[in-house]
Order: sequence, then C-alpha cells, then structure tokens
Amino acid sequence: MASPIRILTAVPICDGHDSAINTINLEFIRHGIEVVYLGYHRSVGDIVRAAIQEDVRAIGISSYNGGHTEFFTGVVDLLRKKGAADIKVFGGGGGTITHQDAAAMRRKGVDEIFFAGTSLDEMVKFVHQRYGKPRGKRARAKTSDIELAHTLTEIEESRKQKKIQNPRSKIQNKVIGFTGPGGAGKTTLIDELVLRFLNKDRQTRVAILSHDPSVIGEGALLGDRATMINSQDDRVFMRSMATRGQAGGLSPATHDCLALLARSGFDYVIIETVGTGQEAMPFQKNGIVDQTVLVMNPDYGSRLQLQKIVMLDLAEIVVVNKSDLQRARTAHTEIEQRLEQNRRAQRLVDTVAKRHRDPGVDKLFGLISASDKSKRGKEWKKS
Amino acid sequence: MEEVMNKLGQVVESVEKYNQFVLDQVKRARTDQKFGRDLLGRWNDIKAKIPTTRAPTGLPLPRLALPEIDEPGEIARFLFGEGLPGEFPFLNGAYREMYLEPVREVESFEKNGESKAKKIDKRMAQAEEPTRLFSGLMLAEDTNERFHYLTRHQRTHRLSTAFDGPTLYGIDSDADGVFGKIGEGGVAIDTVEDMVRLYDGFDLGSANFSASMTISGPAPIIMAMYIAAAKRRFGPNVIPKLRGTIQADIFKEVQAQNETIFPIEPSLRFLTDMVEFTTREMPRWYPISISGYHIGEAGSTPVQQAAYTLSNGFAYAEMFAARGIPVDQFGPRLSFFLDCGLDVEYIALARVSRRIWAVGMREVFGAGAKAQLYKLHTQTSGRSLIAAEFKNNLTRTAAELILAYMNATNSCHSNSADEPFTTPSEEWIRLAAHGQAILLEESGIFKHTMNMLSGSPGMKAVERAVEAAILDEFREIERLGGVLAAVEDRYQRSQIQNASHRYEQQINNGVRPIIGLNRYRDGSDDIPEVKLVRTPRKKQQLQVDRLAKFKKKNAEKSKRALDKLAAVVESGKNCFPELLEAVEVCSLGQITGRLQEVAGRFRPMV
Repeated sequence: MASPIRILTAVPICDGHDSAINTINLEFIRHGIEVVYLGYHRSVGDIVRAAIQEDVRAIGISSYNGGHTEFFTGVVDLLRKKGAADIKVFGGGGGTITHQDAAAMRRKGVDEIFFAGTSLDEMVKFVHQRYGKPRGKRARAKTSDIELAHTLTEIEESRKQKKIQNPRSKIQNKVIGFTGPGGAGKTTLIDELVLRFLNKDRQTRVAILSHDPSVIGEGALLGDRATMINSQDDRVFMRSMATRGQAGGLSPATHDCLALLARSGFDYVIIETVGTGQEAMPFQKNGIVDQTVLVMNPDYGSRLQLQKIVMLDLAEIVVVNKSDLQRARTAHTEIEQRLEQNRRAQRLVDTVAKRHRDPGVDKLFGLISASDKSKRGKEWKKS
Repeated sequence: MEEVMNKLGQVVESVEKYNQFVLDQVKRARTDQKFGRDLLGRWNDIKAKIPTTRAPTGLPLPRLALPEIDEPGEIARFLFGEGLPGEFPFLNGAYREMYLEPVREVESFEKNGESKAKKIDKRMAQAEEPTRLFSGLMLAEDTNERFHYLTRHQRTHRLSTAFDGPTLYGIDSDADGVFGKIGEGGVAIDTVEDMVRLYDGFDLGSANFSASMTISGPAPIIMAMYIAAAKRRFGPNVIPKLRGTIQADIFKEVQAQNETIFPIEPSLRFLTDMVEFTTREMPRWYPISISGYHIGEAGSTPVQQAAYTLSNGFAYAEMFAARGIPVDQFGPRLSFFLDCGLDVEYIALARVSRRIWAVGMREVFGAGAKAQLYKLHTQTSGRSLIAAEFKNNLTRTAAELILAYMNATNSCHSNSADEPFTTPSEEWIRLAAHGQAILLEESGIFKHTMNMLSGSPGMKAVERAVEAAILDEFREIERLGGVLAAVEDRYQRSQIQNASHRYEQQINNGVRPIIGLNRYRDGSDDIPEVKLVRTPRKKQQLQVDRLAKFKKKNAEKSKRALDKLAAVVESGKNCFPELLEAVEVCSLGQITGRLQEVAGRFRPMV
C-alpha cells in the first residue's frame, strides 16, 4: 500500500483565525491524508523549516488577516532559497483574498487559492490529485537538514532499508525517550526542556521524533508542533510520525528513523510516544534510548492502577506533571511508594510544565543533562 | 490563582435563591393582606407617574409600557422578578429612557407642531447616540483622517479603534515576516508617537470624547501608550478625565480568538495591574470589555456565548476583588459586548444576562447598585452574513438590530452587508449605520415608549429556557474547578468548536435554512468584483522607518526602562506605573519581548 500523503497546514503570523483550518484538517485526515498541523500565528521561517523537516508534499495556508500576497510569496521564495522548491504551496482566505490577489499569488508560484464557497470535497480532491502521485527521483539535497528529512521519508516509506551499523560509535549524544498517558503534558514538557537545552549553550542541537496514532492506510493529525513554541528553532530538528497501525505507541519506521537521528550529530535526541496505556513498554526492546522518562498525570485513578503500569518499573525518571492540581500530592506519595518496590535508582520529579521557568522542569533538566556522558560508547544492539 | 475563580457555584445558588425569593413574594402578596395592599398602592403610584407622549400622528402613548395586571401576586412577580427599567434585577434595562425621544406634549400638536418639533430635534441631537463607528486602517494618520470624516456630523466623538495583526500580537512592524500585514485590517501602532498621531485633533479630555480600543493580548501596553499620548498633548491633568474602553479580555482570547501573547496567569496579572491603576486614577475609563462577540463568531451557541461571557465576568470580578480593589470601584467599570444573531435565543439573551449579572454581583460580591449593571454593547452577527446573494444581509442585520434593541442594549454596531467578501466599503457602511437610524429615529418602535416589546409570553418562555441553560453551563464550569481551570482544560474551546462544527453541518444538511445559499438559491452569485483598499508598500515602509528612528533615538533609554520594567515584574508589584514610563522610550515589540522573557510566551491551544 502506498504511504499516505503528508502535508503541513498552518495559519500565518499575527493571525489567530483557526476555525477554517481546523475543519479542513479534519476533512483531510478523514480522507487518508497525514496532516502536520503547525497551528496559528506562525512565521514564514517557522513554516518553511517545519515543512522541510517533515518533508511534506505541500503546505496549506489559511490566511484571514491580510498581507497574504506577501506571506504566501514569502513561503514560496524561502522554500526555493532553501533548496526545497519541490514542496508546493496552496491555501485560501475566504473573502479576504480577491481574484486579483490570487492571480498574482499564482504567478509567484502558489499552486492554488481556494475562495469562499469552495467545498471541502474539492479541496480533498485537489490534494489527492496534485500531491498524490509518487515522487520521482529527488534532486541532491542542498542542506544536511533536507538530506536528513529525505532519508527519514525513504525509511518511512520503506523504499530503503537503511543499513545502520554501529550507529552510536562516534557520536557523543544522548537519546531520551518520553512516554506516558495522553494529556499528561509530554509535548509541553519536551518543549520546555528544549528551551533549556538551547539556552545551555549556543551550539546545542536537538532532534525530536514525535508520534501520533493512526490506522494503516488512513490519515492522521500530527499536532504536536502546534503547541510547541520553543522548538521552532533552527537548532531543533523535529519529525512527526503517524504510527500507521502499529500498537505500542511508535511507528514501524521508528526504530530506523531514531537510529538515523542518533548518528546525525545532535546533542540530544528526544523521542515522544503517542499517549500510552498500561501495557506499553515502547523503549524496552529498542536499545537506542539512553534514558526513559515516564510522564504521569496526577489523575491516574486508584492506587491499584499504578500496579498495572509497567513503565513504572522501567522508566529511569518518573514525572508527575500538573503538580499544581489538587491530587498531585497524593499522586506523588503513591507513586513514590510504588517505585520503592522496584529497589532501583529511579527518580521522581514534580513539574508544572505550563508554568514559565518552572523549578520542577529545571530539576528534570538537571537530571537529564547531568548524566549526559554516562552512557557514551554503549554498544548498539540491533533488535 | 487556582484558589480564586470558583464562585460560580455561589452565583448559581444566588440566582436560584432569588428565583425562590420572587415566588415567595408572589405568595406573600396573595396571603399577606397588608403586603398585598402596599404593593398595589406602589403599583398604582408607578402607573400614575408615567408621563404621556404622542406619536407624530398624535396618538397618545405612555412613556413606559407595563403589563396590565392588578393582582398583587402578579405585581410582585413583575416588580421583583423583572424590575422596572433601571431597577433591580434589571431584566428590562440597565437604565430608564434609553432610546426615547423627549416627551411630545399634547399642546404642541394642538397649537403649533412646527416650533415644538424643532425643539425636539435639538434635544434629540444632545442625547448620546448609541451608534458606534469602528475603524482602523493603514497608518495612524490615515485612521485619524477617517475618524475625523466619520465624526464630522456628530456632536459626540466615540471612536472605536481596530488594530492591525502585528499590533494585536504585540509585535513591532519591523519584525520578521510581518511587513505585508502592516496596516492591514486595522491601524499599525508601534510607539507612543503613533498613538499621538492616531487621535490627533480630538480633545481626549472632553466629556464628548471617548476612545474604544479593540485589543486584548497587549492591552496594558497599549493602554499605557494611550495615557502617555494624552499626557504629551494635554499634560498630566488629563488622566482622570480620560473616557473610553479597552477590550483587554484575556479569557475570551484563550477560549475563542487566539490573540494571547503571555501565558494565562501572567496575562491576568498584567490585566489586574492595569485595572487597579485605571479604577483608581481614571474613574471614567472602562478597562475591560468582557466579550462574548468573538465567542459567538467562533461558532458557539447563543447560550454558550452568554454563559461564558458571564462566567468570565464573574471570574474577573473575583480576581479584581482578590487584588483588593473594592467591588463598588471596579464593578461600575466593567462592560460587556455581545453578538446578536438570528437564533431565537437572541430574543432574550441580553435580558437574562443582565439579570444573572445583577443578582450574582449583589448577592455573591456584595456590589452596590452601580456595580450591578451589565452595561452592554452589541454588534450584529458577522457570521450570519453570507456572500451568496449578499444584499439579503441588509435584512439579516435589520432583524438582528431589532433583537438587539429589544434587549435594551446600551450601544450597538451594525455590520455591513458586504462584510463576508471584503473589508466593508463606504456605501455599505453607510447603509448599515442608517439601518440603525431608521430603526431608532424613523420608526416608532423604540422612541416613544420604554419596554415597547418586552414581556411577551414568547419572550418569557425564551428567558426561562435560556436562564436554565446558562446555569447548567455554570454548574459544569464549577465542576471542572472554576473558570480558570476550565479554560486551561480547554473546556470552553472544545464546546465552541463542537458547536461551530454542528452549525456548519446544519447548513450543509439544510436543518439551518440560509436563504440564497441552501434555500431559494437562484444560481446567480452577484458578488461584485471588489477593489480592496490595501496599505501601499510605501506606507508600510514609512512605518518601519519611523520605528527605526524611534528605536535609534531611544536606544540607551529603552534599555534602562526595560531593565526597570523587568525588575518590577519579577518583584510581583503592580507593573503598570513602570509600563507608563517604558512606553515613553520603548516600542510595543520591545516591551512585549522583554515581558515574555520574564513571564513566558503563550502556548497555543489547539
């Protein structure tokens, strides 16, 4: 089966009109398209960077606050400048974009502008027809980010079995796995950690491999980027993957993609699973991950539930996020007791990731960056 | 901050209690003879004091329409349950008179109609027009010119200002990738110097002037710029005289409009800092306009709109009270802003809101009479307007205007029929404004008699249903831990998105008939090919150049001012006085950037 079409959607900077794009996203994923949603109020640079890293076929922009001609053109120009002209641009803006504007935008390289009254079906059909054909042979990548993005695509589309030998041999980096139930705040926590990584020194580079659930052959909403503010940075390479039918919180291609990222010169590689349940042990058989972080929500139910969470046995660090919630203290105590059964050195941290400069996140950052060099040179076990 | 903002349960109780109180009074009026007699006496007194007026045809009419009741129980139900216009619980109106023209006396018609009529016209012109004019385009001087044009025939100058995207997001015009958005959809404001240009030629301290600024995320900074601009032109003594409104509604931004720049808690803290300052130093200023309009436009149901607006209002009240601002000081400075569409709920939405607000403020917050008023600005629904056969929009807006005035809104804005496909053009703006004049001045519906259309059985049925549904929403928000917790939980957002989705489906499947779109469509779309007024590149460049000059001129001073500002923010003290200093030498974007370093950036909710 052919891989789903991947596109990126976004709303321009200084524009919060996300109602139309939300509806369109849902329609796209209902029709088998994987949508990386970047959210609203996003700059040209953020959109182009994300599109390149995600190696999408096209960018769909929904603009309602004016300045669209400059904005769309800016995206097209920057894509060209970065050597990613194979990523196409389309969009719309209801009644705010006139036919003259649209004509000018088309002349400057925008594929299509949809006007008020265009049905969702027409848009879906357009994406399938225009961006659904398999890619031809790709030109040599102009930058290392593009090359990396292309290779990840090849891995994900299984057209290339990457032979990865001893991937960690020379790279001084650290791979951290984040897992935990949906809604615990994994993405926010990661974004806050990224801010600290980037501030730590000016050279630090971070890769993020993030996952959202999908069924084989169907679409997916890859929405983690939309809530990230610090990870929109040239020193951060992020890739969003749909699980494409695999259980356990990761995708069939995760292993190889992660292995590639782990030897691509990043100081930190972060992998985030989809929201997981009690059974999941996503990193156990993996071997690449140096440190696993389980992010918990204080509202996990009864104490008995904790006994069933296998990850509590395996994670090096357990985070109780949203520790400003009333139940957080109880959660901390119960999880602490649960961890004592394990008789191994596990750390328990309370965080409020939504809070700026949260001391709990600082502490977690300390735990992660302090043990940086501890696992270097670890032997790679191919599973 | 989680400890506050959970008084909604008490509000629900207070409304339920008040409803029971009304029933008790009805019963008492029927069983306690003396009480019943007193009520009847009071009722007859009220009726006797109602002046008579005349329609232009000579038809005599009472200035106030009351239900025809003479039984003490029903009198109690009316007086306690609804109240006369301007009386608790304000169901029929926050004030008396409102849209009424002066009394036309009997003699004037019998003797000499003409001379009297002249007198009336003169007095009419002195009443405050409820019509509001919204404008903002290109650079400050362009909007200023527009303001002067719009107010040329008006005695009172009530200017409503729209800002461009970069300003709404607290970004400077020289920021990366915003060039094309400078002056689009609103005016570009980067510095206090722009603010001086924006209101040039208007007497900001005059009782006939008020400025309304539609901005929330960076509202405290823009407010500080406005004050600084006023000081530059009129000296420091102008501050207590300033009149106007700034939207500053953070909750609705997070729930619906997405123009938030700091995380919720620091946003609320900066807001409270501003409110503390303005309620003390600027007693005529409305520092927040608690807005349901954008919630409605984002797709909520009318009940959701009313419920979230009210609950947001109560949450703000709780927050300001917790800061130590007396309720009778901030209460009268709160105002509300609702959408008015065509759904049946709009027959009584604002009426019910006014009553719940009054009861809640009095019973839960101990507010005095002036702090109980739900002062309302209404705008007709933009979402109800359709591009297909767009001239029908005139009728839609006219119907919405009737509903808005039936709800005794204190002021109103009517949308232009061409809004679905373009920035409103002069022609359609005029028609929209004239629609209001036709309704209020030409037609006799609202100008002779207060309560002309109040209290029909149908209206009462809607009131009961709407009130019950609003209280249900309150209970759900309370269950989630109060307004702040519910907002962070994305409760209101998801409810609004859900309602929006259903609305679209109903248009698609025809459950919602939209004339000219899914019903009686004749196939011809008559949308004129419009020429939009766009901000020329030269002007956009001028704005960038001016900003560069300002930044260069103040390079040294701005650094110091920002350091001082950051220190005060860190200290937890009220930072508004420091903002007033900072805007003298710093641009909007510089201040936003520094505040974000200290307080963080807003993490979008999707």
